[in-house]
Amino acid sequence: MRSRKTAQKPTTASRVFDAANIVFLVALAVVTVLPFIYVIAGSLASEAEIASRAFFLWPRDVVTDSYDYIFSTDTFLRSLIVTILVTTVGTVIQVLLTFTMAYPLAKRYLPGRNVILMAVIFTMVFSGGMIPTYLIVRELGLLNTYWALILPLAINPFYLIIVKNFFQELPEELQEAARIDGCTDLGVFWRVVLPLSKPIIATMALFYAVAIWNDFMSPLLYISDTSKWTLQMFVRQMTISSDMANTLGQLDPNYIPPEQGLKFAVIVVATVPILLFYPFLQKHFAKGILLGSVKG
Amino acid sequence: MADNSPVTVAAGARAAAKDKPDKPRPKRQQAPLRVRMLRHAWLYVLLVPGVVYFAIFKYAPMYGVTIAFQDYLPFLGFSGSPWVGLKHFETLFTSPDFFRILRNTLLLALLNVIFVFPAPIVVALLLNEIRLSILKRAIQSSIYIPHFLSWTIVAALTYLLFALDVGPITQLMNSLFGARFNFLADPDWFRPLIILQTLWKSTGWGTIIYLAALAGVNPNLYEAARIDGANRWQQMRHITLPAIQSTIVIMAILMSGNLLDTGFEQIYLMTNALNRSVAEVFDTYVYFLGITQGAYSYSTAVGLFKAVVGIILIFGANWLARRFKQNGLF
Amino acid sequence: MTPLTRRLTAGAACAAVAAVGLTACGDDEPADLDTISMMVPLLGSQAPAADSELQQAVEEMIGKELDLTWVPNSDYNDRMTVTLASDDLPHVMVVQGKVPAFVQSAQAGAFWDLTDKLADYPNLTAEDDQILLNSSINGDNYGVFRLRDPMRTAVIIRQDWLDNLGLELPETTDDLYDIARAFTEDDPNDSGDDDTYGVVIPQWPGGYATASPYDVIETWFGAPNGWGEQGGQLVPGFDTPEFLAANQFVKQMIDEGLINSDFATMDSGTWDQPFFNGQGGIIIDVSSRAGVIMNLFKDQDPDNYGDYVAMTGNLAGPDGVLRSYPTIGYNGFLAISRQSVQTEEELDEVLSVLDAMSSQEAQILLNNGIEGRNFEVQDGFAVPIEGGDSDVEVLRNDVTSFAQLGTQSNGWLAYDVLPEGGPERELWDHRQEVHESDLATAVHNPAQPLVSETYVTRGAQLDLIIADARIQYLAGQIDEDGLAAEIERWYAEGGQQVVDEMNELYAQLD
Repeated sequence: MRSRKTAQKPTTASRVFDAANIVFLVALAVVTVLPFIYVIAGSLASEAEIASRAFFLWPRDVVTDSYDYIFSTDTFLRSLIVTILVTTVGTVIQVLLTFTMAYPLAKRYLPGRNVILMAVIFTMVFSGGMIPTYLIVRELGLLNTYWALILPLAINPFYLIIVKNFFQELPEELQEAARIDGCTDLGVFWRVVLPLSKPIIATMALFYAVAIWNDFMSPLLYISDTSKWTLQMFVRQMTISSDMANTLGQLDPNYIPPEQGLKFAVIVVATVPILLFYPFLQKHFAKGILLGSVKG
Repeated sequence: MADNSPVTVAAGARAAAKDKPDKPRPKRQQAPLRVRMLRHAWLYVLLVPGVVYFAIFKYAPMYGVTIAFQDYLPFLGFSGSPWVGLKHFETLFTSPDFFRILRNTLLLALLNVIFVFPAPIVVALLLNEIRLSILKRAIQSSIYIPHFLSWTIVAALTYLLFALDVGPITQLMNSLFGARFNFLADPDWFRPLIILQTLWKSTGWGTIIYLAALAGVNPNLYEAARIDGANRWQQMRHITLPAIQSTIVIMAILMSGNLLDTGFEQIYLMTNALNRSVAEVFDTYVYFLGITQGAYSYSTAVGLFKAVVGIILIFGANWLARRFKQNGLF
Repeated sequence: MTPLTRRLTAGAACAAVAAVGLTACGDDEPADLDTISMMVPLLGSQAPAADSELQQAVEEMIGKELDLTWVPNSDYNDRMTVTLASDDLPHVMVVQGKVPAFVQSAQAGAFWDLTDKLADYPNLTAEDDQILLNSSINGDNYGVFRLRDPMRTAVIIRQDWLDNLGLELPETTDDLYDIARAFTEDDPNDSGDDDTYGVVIPQWPGGYATASPYDVIETWFGAPNGWGEQGGQLVPGFDTPEFLAANQFVKQMIDEGLINSDFATMDSGTWDQPFFNGQGGIIIDVSSRAGVIMNLFKDQDPDNYGDYVAMTGNLAGPDGVLRSYPTIGYNGFLAISRQSVQTEEELDEVLSVLDAMSSQEAQILLNNGIEGRNFEVQDGFAVPIEGGDSDVEVLRNDVTSFAQLGTQSNGWLAYDVLPEGGPERELWDHRQEVHESDLATAVHNPAQPLVSETYVTRGAQLDLIIADARIQYLAGQIDEDGLAAEIERWYAEGGQQVVDEMNELYAQLD
């Protein structure tokens, strides 16, 4: 690229790169999507077809038995509602707690900040383990409540650090200007910083929502009342490989594993709702332009 | 930062934001601690809920690590189980399995660093080069799907595609290279398969964090660069990469703390009698001992060893980052 | 000591919480035996509701309220561990076999020793003393065992292939070899291609002596089932010439291509597929698999589905002697917590409830459901009532879950489900017949009741040495000397200690 080029005239090299890039990424997208399409196809196929065809993307005969069964149960609809509720409330709480904690930690001049940061980092590698955490949840009276699914996971230290890092990247000028205008630190955080943070809020909301949605350990340990179970309990119950149970000597001789088609259908109904969350959030990633204009 | 006159604060913070380490502060201008703390009372208020959370749910349960020094039995509890000192650590370090497992874990960790860590960065950069917004979004929404499929499903698919003689990929490779590949049994293929699975499952999901960072780049910068004659490569090097640089550094440091976490379920599901010698890692070992054999104390001791290595690595990486004038974790 | 230490433990947790200023700790609730609490693994797809029709029926029958905690089967051990560590143990807990956490807790006094009590309750008196002994920990019963079929081993064969080749069902391992070779070489499916083989064996996730096809064949060849007795001493089954002979036999079949070459890595979830798709023609597994496979054929060929699946039982070894591979006869037990059931009187009350739950009426309720609602009786079989409202569907589903509560240690008194069609009925009758006759030649594991301390903490790992070595030998990775060396390694890494402890316990048992 020796001569000056303007945006209107892309070079051949640039075009070749674009083409190759698109081909590569589309291929990647196809490779990642195909297995999921197989799961969907399998959920609509008969057992005999699943057993006789190795890999297929559409069943010869569409059979909806698995879905009929799932939708006929109270369990599915109830646990879907519970999961949506817990995920929504949980995500709001998690994002709120994470962002309020990350903001002060982004201020290098704040006395005591390093000690707290180190304490946070420490928890990323050291944990007390399942049993003491259970005992704490129990002593707090959270057993069998939805709070047990949210509060023990309220802040993920990894995400906290990422948000803190994001706040450090924010230009200080705007915050300072607001402070001169008489805003408290709280006001700056609420009126200046948070509006600038839409891409990272969207990202964190996605991460947290997906984590709660996919969590089966918390309901397993903390929720005894089956009417409060989340979708993942249903999914786990249906899809956990019988191999694993077998190695643990837990397989009941009278146990007949669920049909393949039903397993696939359960995966589909438990995954599709949360999958739709990302495209919905995607538009917020574009909002970062505001931030860019400040930086430039 | 020296005092809190608006100008210096802004300048200091800007310096920090630009990834530059602080200059040595002139001590004489430092206000007393109490004054500085009072000035930022609201920031401390913001900290309170988070600190309470970490105290209750992270620190309060930490007495649980004491079981590494006991012969713990759930029924007897933390105070009822007998103390045994360092017995479990001695057993671990003198075990014939230890070095094999350490080696397997480190090799996988190394491959993760080389292949798995950079993959989302590369894909995010490539995605960023796509101009057509619809295409870009469609690809983004597709590649993150595997994150939602459990390892059980991923393993079943791997067994399907790589099965001896009949798997579609095996057949393709057999005809391409004129050899009989036994991907699932051959210990040499174990690590490549694991890395391939991880890449497939996590790369798309991993791009999200970098794409979020890229969302903050001002498009005018590219415009200006193009007018200055910068080509695509130069734009990427001088605008895009710096924009996500600090995210990359942070992700690298965070990853270092969990380097020895190679995942349990994935490896467990891919292990068989013929590849176990290369497949066994700390996570499967801990699972096997802790859950299958009820050796809570021993498996906690192994976990503690891992955590100590993790904390050394994470602080080491942080120190390294700061030496190279990057924003560290703190 | 226990209540005190437990309170101290709880105190530590409370202190930890109190340190951050949150909540006070409550006192232990007094035992209220109007309601019996139980923790039960959930096998069905949905958990029964607390006010379900079936639960009400059971409660009415036993005269107590039930507080049931359903825990997904696949993660039962995790939940059991935290429950053991907490203060709220249910009165009764299903324990899925002699897992280390249970053995150690029971020996530390967490559960009532029922050895001398069960005989006082007619419905808890074991029908089969051997199973009662098997379910004990060195002779002490810490629970009421849940009865299961004592014999399940079967050889499942493609009937149409046998017919094509004019062959009969096998009776000996030599027959098995001949059929496998004919299935491989004589074009049993008339395709004109060399596209079939004999025996289908998948990757086996368990260790040694876990009812794998290898374990079954070893027993047929005369090797002990797990442990054998030689001159009054227990020896591990793999340290016998019969073990080697059996595996030489399997290796020969593998080397000659009579067994699928990916036997070490084939996904066990797809075991039926080669059989159903007409690639492999023999499966050595539990007999219920024959029914599952028949269903697949029924799906594909509703008119002739009975013509594909044949089944027989155990095979005689090369010496002509028939030895059968049995199950252990039970699947875990119902254990009673000493923390929540504190006195002998309370224990008596709980045992009476379990006794009531094992009466014939209760067994029918737990295993079949409510007569006239979800099933009818016909020729001594339960016939599911098809259709019905959604309540009936819920009831049908709940039965699979409640079956986990039943012990049937006094013998199976509920109804068997009537097989659906003619071929199913034929298969079912044949299965009963074969299992019954095989039971006479069952090779039991004399060490089944024994739990050695070293085995509890090292056993699973040790067993893996043998299971891996066996596969490596069969795959040609190691030779017979290598196999012998691995067995030596088993002894060296703790196996010798296990052998010594087992023999000591064995001597005490008599």
